[in-house]
Amino acid sequence: MAKSKADPTYQKTQDHSEYVEVWEDFVSIKDLVISFIICSIMTLGAYLLAPNDPPKPLFFGLSGALIGFIICSVIIKPKRNLIETEEGK
Amino acid sequence: MDVNLLIQMLIAAILGTAIYTIIGIVPGTDETAVIAPITLAIVLAGVEPIVVLTFYMAAVIAHKLTDSVPVAVAGIPGGVMATPMVEHALVLKKYGQSETSIKKMMSGSVIGTLVSVPVSLLLASVLVPFAERINEYANPILFAGAVLLALLSTNRWLSLIIIIPFALLIQGLRHLYWDLGIVPENKNVFISFFLGITIGPVIVTLLDLLSKEKRKQLIRHHHKEIILKKSAKEKGFPNPFKILTKKEVGMSSIASLFGTITFMFSAVGVTTLVGELFSKQEKEPVKRSSLAISCMEALANATYIAGSLIPLIALGFPLSSVALGPANPLFNAPPVFTLDHNLHHILSFTDFLWAIFIGVGISLFFTYVIIVKHANEICAFVFKWIPHEAILGLFVALVFLLAFMDAGWLNIAGVLLIGIVSGTLSRYGVNFGVQFMVLYSAPWLVSVLAG
Repeated sequence: MAKSKADPTYQKTQDHSEYVEVWEDFVSIKDLVISFIICSIMTLGAYLLAPNDPPKPLFFGLSGALIGFIICSVIIKPKRNLIETEEGK
Repeated sequence: MDVNLLIQMLIAAILGTAIYTIIGIVPGTDETAVIAPITLAIVLAGVEPIVVLTFYMAAVIAHKLTDSVPVAVAGIPGGVMATPMVEHALVLKKYGQSETSIKKMMSGSVIGTLVSVPVSLLLASVLVPFAERINEYANPILFAGAVLLALLSTNRWLSLIIIIPFALLIQGLRHLYWDLGIVPENKNVFISFFLGITIGPVIVTLLDLLSKEKRKQLIRHHHKEIILKKSAKEKGFPNPFKILTKKEVGMSSIASLFGTITFMFSAVGVTTLVGELFSKQEKEPVKRSSLAISCMEALANATYIAGSLIPLIALGFPLSSVALGPANPLFNAPPVFTLDHNLHHILSFTDFLWAIFIGVGISLFFTYVIIVKHANEICAFVFKWIPHEAILGLFVALVFLLAFMDAGWLNIAGVLLIGIVSGTLSRYGVNFGVQFMVLYSAPWLVSVLAG
């Protein structure tokens, strides 16, 4: 059964924002740019700030990337509409 | 086996499984683009080779298994490898059998693994005596591979035409870096060029956004609709041999055997070809689709395992499309691994067995048990909470980082250039395999041509 429209998690399919399709999923250009900036700064920043003692810079860089990814996951909402239905409908 | 090392391997296997269970479900993730950079980073971080292999095996199995989950529950492929299955999953969905899809797929991959691991080990030991001879001719063989893959490409003439120009681009950048003194003369920039090729298609799509005309075509005014079917809960431990019919077990095993033997070729190609061929035997649509799904999943798994393991164990250079793709960092990740010093040279046969046993075992067990029981919850979690922007951001940042580490700031532009060329080529139908083979044989090819 489709979720009712009164359900707060149900979003109208048509809205005013614009999304683009990249890698078979939808993204908003603004969020994508934000994500690139956050992830790149976290990754390269952590790499450059790390003590110069290999492989520490790489570990710092990777952790930076992971933290950037988590920040983005929190602040950016996925552009997918999830409709849960019963089997066989 | 050292207890400390064993613990590291277990952790690596669990991490690989967890990370790639999530990434596998995210729609459209290409296995090379998502598995290679992280494996590469782990290799460069100086993790023990046997632990790296354990991680890689767990990652590949988990990604392979989970990328077909969204196919069954939502009809969208989680990765490139899952694309051939969509049609059949939709048939099962239409008849209200999504749950069957998942179970058949998972059981198929268990069979694929059980068949291909021993057969790969056997094939590898058969090839070992010839390895030295084959290795002497590694460069011409890789070049011949590029030509062969070019002939099998969607756009075969363009693929043939670009072999030499693409080799020139790669060698041109390398010589420039040497001339400028930003890379020492004895170092071949490889990793970042490889990554440039893998993310090429994404770079080209992103650049499309900069052109007004193209942007108009790509713009959507709604969210991506994903319809998720709720299915009944599985009780007790699911037994793959009970889930599949005798015929499905038999056919999947034969398909896996076939996938293992044809380890050199593109996994997607073989999967589509053989899967369709085998399922033609069954006329009734539901039976046919469930046979196709179990065979394809078994086959895909088998091709992946064989394509990674046989070249690793027997040859030490990447002579298969899987080895050139996701498994690439296990063969060549300078300065840690080079073609003369990689997992093939470092690990003993027993080491390989341990890594396979732990990596494959843990990954298969967890993904199988968890997914058969909780496919819906996992998909819903990923779809609801993991934005696509974050995934793209993560991989672009990783590529930046590795490009910078390889040859400094200038190389970020170099990688961008390779990405644009390679992404445009793959859009015109030149497959990744051709480009990777050229990347490997470029130094040899250019020196031969220059005389």
